[in-house]
Order: sequence, then C-alpha cells, then structure tokens
Amino acid sequence: MTPFGASGRPTLRRVPLNAAAALFCLLWIFPVYWMVNTAFKPYGDILSPAPQFLPFPLSFANFADAIGKPGFLTDLRNSLVVTAAVVVLAVVVAFFAAVALTRLRFAGRRTFLIAVLVVQMVPLPALVIPVFLSLKSAHLLDNLLALVLTYAAIVLPFTIWTLRGFLHGIPVELEEAAMVDGAGRMTITRRILLPLVMPGVIATSVFAFITAWNDYLFANVLMKDQAHETLPVWLVSFSTATGTDYGGLIAASTLSALPVIVFFMLIQRRLVAGMTAGAVKD
Amino acid sequence: MATTTESHTAPPAPTGAAARPPRRARRPRRHGHALPYLLLLPATAVLALVLGYPLVRLVIISFQDYGLRALFTGVITWAGLANYQAVWQDPQLLPVLARTGAFCAALVAGTLVIGLLVALMMARLGPRMRTAVTLCLITSWAMPPVAATLVWQWLFQPVYGVVNWLLTQTGLFGDLTQHDWTTSALSAFAIVWLLVVWQSVPFVALTLYAGLSQIPRSYYEAAAIDGAGAWTVFRVITLPFLRPILVLVTILSVIWDFNIFTQIWILTQGGPGGGTTTLGIWSFTKAFSGNSFGQGAAIAVVSVLLLLVLTLYYVRRLVRSGEDL
Repeated sequence: MTPFGASGRPTLRRVPLNAAAALFCLLWIFPVYWMVNTAFKPYGDILSPAPQFLPFPLSFANFADAIGKPGFLTDLRNSLVVTAAVVVLAVVVAFFAAVALTRLRFAGRRTFLIAVLVVQMVPLPALVIPVFLSLKSAHLLDNLLALVLTYAAIVLPFTIWTLRGFLHGIPVELEEAAMVDGAGRMTITRRILLPLVMPGVIATSVFAFITAWNDYLFANVLMKDQAHETLPVWLVSFSTATGTDYGGLIAASTLSALPVIVFFMLIQRRLVAGMTAGAVKD
Repeated sequence: MATTTESHTAPPAPTGAAARPPRRARRPRRHGHALPYLLLLPATAVLALVLGYPLVRLVIISFQDYGLRALFTGVITWAGLANYQAVWQDPQLLPVLARTGAFCAALVAGTLVIGLLVALMMARLGPRMRTAVTLCLITSWAMPPVAATLVWQWLFQPVYGVVNWLLTQTGLFGDLTQHDWTTSALSAFAIVWLLVVWQSVPFVALTLYAGLSQIPRSYYEAAAIDGAGAWTVFRVITLPFLRPILVLVTILSVIWDFNIFTQIWILTQGGPGGGTTTLGIWSFTKAFSGNSFGQGAAIAVVSVLLLLVLTLYYVRRLVRSGEDL
C-alpha cells in the first residue's frame, strides 16, 4: 500500500479507508454544522429534549434577536474599525520593513530578522499585565487605538516575514530595467513592486484581519467600557448575561465566524506554506 | 500567533549602488545610509512599544509591590523577591505546574497523533475524498476561538446539549442528559482538550500532509519491490523524511498549547475549585481578580522562562538559521 494512490484504481481496499475518512469528516464538521443548524432553528426547536437535526422550517428569528440585542451593532462597528486599522497599519509598516530587508543591505539586518522571530515567541497571556498597567497609567484604556497598536505588533512578525519572502521572489532586474528607463523610487514601488507582491499583501491582510477579529484576551482586559467592546467580548458577556438564550448566542457566533471562515479559505495554502517553509531545506 | 521560519535559498538581492547604473550611483548612496533604518523605524517602533517594552516592564513589576494601592495612588514600592517568595510558598504552585504540564502534554500528544493519522490517511485517499477532508479541516481551523468555545458550551450543555443526548442514546452510560461537564476538573479538562485538539489538528495534519507529498514516490516503489511491510515503510522512509516537520509542529504545538487561555477562561474560569487553573489562568486571576499585579507578573515571568527552556532548541535553530539569511 503506497500513499498518493499509486495503486491507481479505487479497489475494494479503499473502502475501509474511505469509510474512515467519511467518519472523520462527519466528526470534524459536526460542531460547525450544529452551530449553523441551531442558528437557523425556530426558537421552540432549540430547547427541545430531543434535538432536531435539521433546521426546517428555516427561521431568521435568532439572527434578528442577536442583532437587536443592546451593544451588538456598536461592538460590531468597533470590531470592524479596529480590524481595518490593524490591516492597513500592519501591511504598510511591514511592506516598508520588507523592502528594506530585501532591497537594501545595511548593518543590523540579520539582527532585526532574528529579533522579530524571537519576539513573536513571547507568550501573549504573559504580556497582558504590563500592557494593561502601562495603558492605564497613560490613560489609554478604553481607547481603540491601544487595541490597534497591540494587534499590529502581534501580527507584524508574520507579516514582515511573509512579505519579505514575496519580495525576495521578485527579480531585482525588473526594477533595474525600470530605473534605466528613468523611473524613480516611488514609481517603481507603485508600478512594479506593489502589483507583483499583491498576493502576499492579500495573504498578510487576511492574517491580520483574522488575528484582530478573533482576539478576546486583550480586548477583554483593555476595553473596560461597554461602548468600546469588540465582538468577541460582547459574545462572552452575552453568554453569561442571558444564560439560556442559546438561539441568539449561537446566531451571533455564526455571524462572527462567517467572515473568518470565508477569508481563511482564501489564504490557507499560504498559511501552511509560510509556517513550514524552512523546516525542510528546499 | 503564527510562526514563520521561511528561509529562501535564492541568492541575496544585489543592493545598494552596485545594482544601479553608474550615472545615478552617487546620489542614492548618500541617503542610502539612512533609508533602510527609516523604512524599519515604524515596524521597530510598534514592536518595541507593544512587545519589547511590556516584556521589560513585566520583569520590573514582578519585583514591585504592585497592588490596588499602587494602582490608585501611583506610589509603587519595591518588593525585592517578595512576589517570587509568595509564589514559591503558595500551596497552589505545585498543582498548577503539574496541571499545566500534564494538560499541555495531553494536548500536544493528542494533536500530533491525530494529525499524523489524518495526514497519512489523506495521502492515501482519492482526490474527491481528500478535498472533503481538507474542507472540514479548514473550517474547524477557521472557527474563531470565542465562537468555537461558545458552540462547545452549547454542545455540552446539560439538559439541551446534543452531546449528552447522543451519549444517552448509545445506552452505554445511562441517562446523561442532566450531566454538567464543568463540575469536575477532569471532565472540564476533557471538553477543553476536545475543543483545542479540534482546532489544532488541522494545522498539524495539513502541514504533515504537505511534507508527505514531498517524499519521492520512487522510494516507496523501491520498498514495494523489496517486499517491505507497511510498518517498515513507515519507519524507514516516511518517518525520517517527516522528522524536521514533525519537530517543527511539535515545538509550535508546545508553544501554543502552553499558552491556552481563552478556551479555559470562558468554559471554566479556572474552576471548579481551581481544578482547571493553569499557569496562565493563575497569573491572570492573581493580577485581575486578586489585584496583586506583582505576583501575577512573577508567575508570568516564571511561565515565560519555562516556555523558553522547553523551546530552547527551537530558539537556537532560529538564531542559527539567521546565519544564512
């Protein structure tokens, strides 16, 4: 038995394997299926002793219930503002750094790259205490800017390394040719580097998006005021405040998960490649 | 959160004046000295401000008497080693350390074993089934931790939770519909374990599968000709090829699983009776519930050092890989 279907035809030997794969799929997708199923159920079907496995008749009442709850729209807006700011800030800052790291040679280049790698190994839960105290003495608690800066720093190492990898792949001859034709630095960056590095910009943007959108730890500690909460904090407080309103809670969870799942599908190849390249010498 | 160790073997880009036509060489060279640092300045500033400075501050706070009084008056007194002494003498210390270690080990082992099995399975599947498995993996990977944790709460909810209902239907365990999983530390850990493994297996499985697909097929053909059994093939060909990737995903899993916070915090808050309090939860509750930021910081410093020891090999590799950057 060899991997990658070397035997060629789907013989009887494949049957137990396919059965195992089907079972695995069933098991692994079940929580997400149950989330969507619960979110679309009519309210009475959620709290029934024997669970209903199909959400028919489809009902959007749970979504309406979640959106109508106090704070949802404010916190959704906060999440969107913070996430958008993090994406723009992280990608722009990382792009500058990546250009310097791939196109210019200077003292301290290697030190910077290693420092970036080491710094991202710092366990984030350990940083909550000093970040909280520093922001408190700077009177920056309940300031969305604090969250933006925190998330930007968390995603920067990955963003810098990924963009650096993409820039590395672009032959310098292209820029040289443009330079011979009399193009300036800005023109070269805008007309040549940026379009070529676009896949990398998209991948890192999505990564920044997911990190900022998902965080609970820092948002929970740094945003004490309800008006500045983000969606994950709202979800958790919803869960403890209402106790049994699982319909609304799960519908809101579905709404918060949807954009992430969509974006994740877009970059998963890049994520896997980015995390393992270098493990095997190529 | 994600860790990259990309290294490109492409020759380093020719840079500076050498790459430019001689006519323009003089001008860029002059500001060429400041330009790279100018470009790195924003990134350095953000990293130093949000990761570097707090790390230093963490160590300083761990030597200070930083409680409610300090929080409100701003008057901070030095405490010497008092915070570390208090942590050292705390009867909670040993159970917390044991719990953190055991839970992390259980998570890493579970993630790696299941991930490896899934990767091996994927390598033997037909294209259609493999796509189905990949889609399921990506979906669970993509679930935001908070949403996933809340779904978990609902799945394992007493009375209306579907898992209790399903377990009851099997008839093996009696009537479990009223069972509350968070009332005992062991079963609470069990559901957190299931949740974290569910979310971590995709990365491990997809990464190992990517590694498997790079093994030249001729090796397997040769082994087949020699009449090697499946176990021998796995031990002699697959495992040695996968070793570097296995080491990488193991270390990344150790780092991530050691730092699990959100899932435990939302599901149990460290309870019942402190039974699911890991180092991270302990530090957090000491600081934010007990208002003893000094002791919380001391615990955090200890956990950073512990993690550093656990991952020393990886850090050394990173530093060494910097030699051919």
